Order: sequence, then structure tokens, then C-alpha cells
Amino acid sequence: MKNFEEIINELRELLGQGSVTVEPDQLSQFRVDHLTPQAVVFPKNTRQVSDVVRLAHTNNLGVVPWGSGTQMTTGNPPKRLDLVLSTSRMNHIIDVDTANLTITVEAGVKFRDIQARLATQEDRCYLPLEDLATEADEVICSDRSHSGSFLPMDPPQADKATIGGIIATNAAGPRRLLYRLPRDLILGVRMVAPTGDIVGSGGKTVKNVSGYDVSKLTVGSLGSLGVICEMTFKLLPLPEKMETLLFSFQSFDAASAFVDQVFETSLLPAAVEVLTESACSRLPMEGISDLSAAPFGVAVALEGFVPAVARMSDEMTTMAKSQGAVTNNSLEDHRHQAFWLAVSKLGRILEKENPGLMTLKVNSPVSEWATTFKALETAFSEADLPCALQAHAGNGACLASLLLDGKDDGVMEKAVGTVNRLSSLFSETDGSLVVQTVPSRWKAQLNIWGNPGSAFPVMKRLKEKIDPLGIMNPGRFVGGL
Amino acid sequence: MDTQTLIDRLGEIVGPGNVLSSQMDLMLYSYDASPEKGEPDVVVLPGSTEEVSNIMALAHKEKVPILGRGSGTNLTGGTIPVKGGIVVHFSRMNRILDLDIPNRTVTVEPGIITLDLQTEVLKKGFMYQPDPASQKVSTIGGNIAENSGGPHCLKYGVTSNHIQGLELVLDDGTIVQTGGKAWDKPGFDITGLFVGCEGTLAMVTKAILKLERTPEAVKTMLAVYETIEDGANTVSAIIAEGIIPATLEMMDNRVMRAVEETIKVGYPLDAAAVLIIELDGMPQGMEESAEKIIAICKENNVREVKLAKDDAERATLWAGRKGAFGAVGQVRPSYQCCDGTVPRTKLPEVLNKVIRIGEKYNLPIGNVFHAGDGNLHPLIMFDERDPEEKARVQKAATEILKACADAGGTISGEHGVGLEKLRETSFIFCETDLAFERTLKQAFDPNNIINPGKMIPEAVCQ
Repeated sequence: MKNFEEIINELRELLGQGSVTVEPDQLSQFRVDHLTPQAVVFPKNTRQVSDVVRLAHTNNLGVVPWGSGTQMTTGNPPKRLDLVLSTSRMNHIIDVDTANLTITVEAGVKFRDIQARLATQEDRCYLPLEDLATEADEVICSDRSHSGSFLPMDPPQADKATIGGIIATNAAGPRRLLYRLPRDLILGVRMVAPTGDIVGSGGKTVKNVSGYDVSKLTVGSLGSLGVICEMTFKLLPLPEKMETLLFSFQSFDAASAFVDQVFETSLLPAAVEVLTESACSRLPMEGISDLSAAPFGVAVALEGFVPAVARMSDEMTTMAKSQGAVTNNSLEDHRHQAFWLAVSKLGRILEKENPGLMTLKVNSPVSEWATTFKALETAFSEADLPCALQAHAGNGACLASLLLDGKDDGVMEKAVGTVNRLSSLFSETDGSLVVQTVPSRWKAQLNIWGNPGSAFPVMKRLKEKIDPLGIMNPGRFVGGL
Repeated sequence: MDTQTLIDRLGEIVGPGNVLSSQMDLMLYSYDASPEKGEPDVVVLPGSTEEVSNIMALAHKEKVPILGRGSGTNLTGGTIPVKGGIVVHFSRMNRILDLDIPNRTVTVEPGIITLDLQTEVLKKGFMYQPDPASQKVSTIGGNIAENSGGPHCLKYGVTSNHIQGLELVLDDGTIVQTGGKAWDKPGFDITGLFVGCEGTLAMVTKAILKLERTPEAVKTMLAVYETIEDGANTVSAIIAEGIIPATLEMMDNRVMRAVEETIKVGYPLDAAAVLIIELDGMPQGMEESAEKIIAICKENNVREVKLAKDDAERATLWAGRKGAFGAVGQVRPSYQCCDGTVPRTKLPEVLNKVIRIGEKYNLPIGNVFHAGDGNLHPLIMFDERDPEEKARVQKAATEILKACADAGGTISGEHGVGLEKLRETSFIFCETDLAFERTLKQAFDPNNIINPGKMIPEAVCQ
């Protein structure tokens, strides 16, 4: 093994001087929990990633891939950290094939740039381009494919997240109800295995059973099987009409009765999001105070053909009123897009306001969303812990954010205890509880990923076979893999 | 372990009546729907997960090759025991274990016939979407192993998109659960990796399938063309217009003739090709979509577009499509189906190449395929008793798959690599890709006993 100085020199030779940094100021921006990397590298393409990983493999260096850093609180603290591999220079859209409804991109491409590229010439886009242009710190992709298609994903922090990060963390939001999960949209992948080998799987066709489905294996793997470098996705034509219905309800029972009634019909909403007032009131958007007029808000996304959206809007509004909705309102097109972008930004807003923020993602079988929501609400209110709750109803996913300033260790300990109790509660069911955000120093006391289940030995076998030295994201994944 | 001892030991696990080893039995399990052949040493019919686990543990200990089998409708030799050993036939494990409408799932054993399951859930107003043409015979376990497609996959996705969880028996007999009724289980997506593994990683003993509500409305059309090219161009144009129908199926003249000789659907025998276009979903907006589609068909020189008037007419149109492979089997003793897939805009170009390849090798080729997905199924018709003709078929098939790969597509859309396309994997994979696949295989099956010899060509020097 070489000393680190030699390694740095070699990295500089491989990537170029400007693609490797060891400046302490910069390194500190790439801390992962308690660890600071020895160097951050900025490869420009898959070949360079391969060079870096091969070097890391030869010298047994721990590597953590990094996109926009929006999900870096995820997972166990790394067991070791030598190199952070930033994908920020791997920001090329490789192929846009709108006639075949596929796109191929590098891992560092931002989700918003993909949507911008797929917009029509008139800037009809899945995301509110104008708002993004005003807020963004960087230039947003100005090329247009003129196709009017979109990548049907709805990740948290849709304005900042990179596609590589979305895939590595299986980040999906409310609208997965209609469009399914990232695993269902990925068609192909090129990754760099922990040996440095470039490995490809899948391709541009929607149907492909040639070889193992490595693409799906990468989704949600937290980059622990290799660096995800290039991905191909299935696209959809932009919906003809987009509308959001906003309702508020005095009681959770009324809100959930409305939601359950919706799912008894054959209507196909894109999302049905239930939020506590504490969540609604912090959504970063003007003119939606109706939603927080009562303790529980329900936002329904409708995306489809004009007459289908009109029918769903009418029928659901009638249902909501019959269940005693206190307010009802609707947002169309640009306002609709802005609303769901605001929902995707909620986690970040809450984190800024609450330095001790803890967020949990709880998944239950779809029919149990309300039971889960109530269990979370009761547990936190009994422990006197302020929280904001969201449910992606119809998907069975609940998000709980504990709004803590992190200053009082007693309160934090109480929160940790409550979360651990909930975690064991949910591990006995068919569901799961994952702690997504928590100040680093509390991680050791929490079961971050919950119970990995009986398939864990298979996961362990895979990890050990593919990454025998354990260099990729060491220890951060499920069960310390 | 000698074969007789193996038979005795298996008999102890499942009862002697559930072990088959006569010469006739072994011959019956020596083939599937592909032209490949190979006999097992013994066939075993387990009745429970525990029995499967004990069988696997035995095979593991004795290092005997073992493979799972449903109805043997596999088209690429995936169920052929090329290295002998044990065939585990799942016909006795065919129950619905839990139909859970509130959670939109159904849990089944792998031996259940796909259509039987679909008929059962339909009674509750729900659908299990993947609809391989063999659904009357094929099993869910087989569909999972092969990641089966079907006409409706254009809109709804392939089998993999409808499997939420699995119970697997690993090489050493360990029983594990992957996924579940809740979405998004943390950890590697073992379910996703397993679906489409061609039975080379483990045995599936239970599956949790996703259900969807039956659509309110369905509209089925038959568009008739004078040239295949016009039909293929229509397919691309419909998608480009922003419409994703539930199906976009194409059938050429040769296949229509074969169908009419056996099923009598009433396809226009003087036309070059037809498209079966189906829309489903909410009725609102469907009429407008149908009108747009008809306009696109006209722009692409359609001769006529017929709308199915009722369910009976719709069923007839589909009976012809789903019975097409069988009908082709009546024309000549054998056929080889090349399952290459291309980006759909490449269809006209690749179809032309297919026609030229047929002419070059003097072989009749029929086309009946999932045009919307770009998933071709050129059926090369031949007589397997003629070795010279069989050799020409091989060459033609390889050229067709090469044409698909060169057009940015792949060598298999839904039938798998199996034995048939081992050589052709080099058209789409380089050695590091294959080495990685072997690593995955080794993680599950270090002794290489689970359906060995399939899907991944063995390394040149191992």
C-alpha cells in the first residue's frame, strides 16, 4: 500500500490537477457524519470513476459517492472514509430519445435539469421552471428537447437532487402512487464495480431480460455495490392537464374517511398526500393557507387527460365535502407544479428551522397508512415531542419529522427512546421504519435502518462477493454493510 | 450419490409417490417449448416450502444440479436440465394463499397457472396485469423466473413491476423473505434481482403479486395495412403523439394466414399486416385518444380501422393473437422465435432486415409481436428433422439478434437467454459485464448447481 501523498499524486495524474482537492476548507464541506475525507475527487466521466475506484481498490481506501449531498444524513456513520467521489462534473445528458421515450444521463445530472431538457419549446415542463430559475444558484439547463415528455419521478428536494442520488437512495415522493417507484422506471445502468470494472446492464428498451437486472439492484443500494455512473430511464408524455385539490379537515378520521373513499373508486389520482397542520403551514408557497385552516390537510394531485382530470376533480370534491371538508381549493398547472415542488422541499425547510430534526420514513401495507399515521401521532404527542406528519396515502408510506432544536439532550434522549420503541413496533409488522435524518451524534443509539429481515444473509453474501474489501460506502448501508 | 439413492432420499422428503424416475417420465421432462432437449435424473413434486428446502439442502450437500419447473412453456431452453440432476416440478404448489384486496396484493404458490390466478382476482374486480400469451398454461413461478412480458406490458410494465415480495429457498435450503406487502423495504432489491434470473439463483416458493383495479373502459381496434412499414410507423407515431395505449400488437400476413387456418378470427388475409390497438382506463378522454389514433393510422396509409363492437369481438381479436404461436406450429413442425427488442422507432428498419434475412436463408419467417415495446418475435419456421435446415435457422436467428443489438436494442425482451442465446450475449455484453453477472450468480450459488449452464456463458478460462 502506498502512503496517501503518493495516492493523491496518482489521482492528480489520472484526473488532472483541478479534479482532486485536499484543501481542509473544502474537505470540511464533504464530511459524512463524524468523518472528514482525506481527499475529494471530481471525475468527469465513467472512465475516470473507474480509474479512481481501481486505485481505491488496490490501496483499500474507503469511498463515499456524493451527488448534491441532499441525502448525506442517510445511513449509519461510515466505518472509514478516505475519498469522497463527487459526481458534480458528471453532469451530461448523454441521450434524449423522445420518440422512444427514453433518456440516458450521467449520475451528477440534476433532476430539475432533466425535466427542463424534456420541456417543450414553450417551457411546458413537469417542474415550475420559472420559479426554479429565480431561486437556483446555478444555471438551469436551457436546451429543450421540444418533446413535452417528463421523467415521472417525484423525489424529495426535486430542485437540488441529482439523479444518481435519487437512484442510490430510492428517493420517491407522493406521486409514485401513479408513476410507481424509481425501480420501475430505470431501464439500464452503467456502474463502476468496487474492483474498478465498468459494468453495464439493461439498455434502452422497456423490455429486456438479457442477463440479471443489475439496474434494480442498484436502486436503493446507497452506492454500496459500486458507483452508479450512467442510467437510462423510461419517460412519459407530459400530462395534458395538471390540477391539485386542497382540502382541510377538522379531524383525522374525517380526512382518512375521505382518502379511503377515494381509493374505493376506480379514479386514478397521481398522489394523495395527508399532512398535519404543522407540516402544511411550513410549506414554502404563498396562497395555500386554506390547506392549514384545520388540523389536517389533504392534497390530491390529478394528472392526465383534460376530461379525466375534470371528472376526478368533481367527484373528489363532492366526496371531500360529504366528509366534512372545512375548506376546498384547487391549483392548476403552474401552481400545481409549484405546490408539489414545495412539498418536496419541506424536509429541507424543517431541517433549517430545527437543527435537531429527526425524520423517519415508515412503510406499511397500503391499507394500514391511517393506523401508522395515528400510531406515530399518538407516540409523539404522548412524549410531548412536536412533530410534522405526512402520509403518501395509497403507498402506505408515512414521513414523521420531529421538530427539535437539538439543544436539550434530555429531549433528544426522549426522542431517541420513542423512535426506538416505534422501530421495534414496526419491525414486528410487515412494515419498516428508517431514520432518514438525525444529528450524527445520536446515530449510535438508533437502529437507523430497522430490522433488515430474513433476506439479510443474501444481502451480506452479495456485498461480500461484490465488494470483498468493503471499500464502497463502508458500513453505511442496512445491517452495517 | 448414485441415482437410486438420490431417488430414495427424495422419496423420504416428499413421499415416494411424488418422485418420478421412469424412462417415460424423464423423457417428458426433457423438453420445453424451445427446440432444446436434455433429460434429468429424477423429477420431484414438492408440496410445501419445507419440502423444497429439504430438497435443496440435499442437492447442496451432494452437489447435484437442480432446477425448478412450472409448465415448461419456456421458449429458450431455461427449463432443460442440460446437466441432468433433479427437476423440481411445482405443479402441486398451486394455491392462492392470501387474496388481500385492501392491500392490493395476492400471495400465491409458484405452481399456480397465470390465467387461473387472473380469473380468480377478476371476480373481485381486480387484475394481475402481466399477460404472456402462454398464460393459459404458464405458471407464476415460471413468469417470475423469466420476467415474462405480454401485450399489456406496454402500459403496465413487465412481471418484475408487479412482484412485491418473494419467499425464496437458497442453495443450502435456507428460507428467506424478500420485499413484502409494504413497499420500499430497506436493503438490496433482491426481489428485483431475482425476477428474470431464469431460475439460476434460488427457488421461489411464494410470491406476493400486485393487483390493480379493473379499468372502467376498454376500447379495442384492428388497423389493417398494405405494408408492414406503414404499420410500424404508426406505432412510433402514436407514442410520439403522447398516447400510451394498453397494447400495440402487430401481426403479419403469414401469421394471419396460419391463425385463420386454425382459429378463424376473420383477419384480412389480403393485407400485409394488422395492428391490435387497445386503450383502457377511465372513459373520459378515451374517445379523443381513439380519434387521434385513427387519424394517425390514416396518415400512415391504413386501409381501414375496425372497432371491436363488444366483448365477444374483442375476445376473438385476442384469441387470434394469443393463439398465433400455436397456429404457426401447425404450418411447419418447428419454429424458432427470436425475441430481440429494439427502440420502437427502429422497427421499420429492423423488420426489413428480418425479411431480407429470411430471403437470404430461404426460410419462412412470420412476425407477430409487441410492436409498442419494440419487442420483435420473428418466427422462423422449419423442420427440425432436417439438420441442414436447422443449421440455416441458427444462422438466421443469430443474424436477426445481431440486427436488433446493432439497432440499439437487445437480444431478449421477454423470453430470456436460456441456452438458446448464450453465444449472442456477446452482442450486448463485454467480458466485464459477464464477469459481474457471474459474481452475482456465485453469491447465490457458489457450487453452480442451480439451473447450471443457462443465461451466462461460462468464462473462457475458469
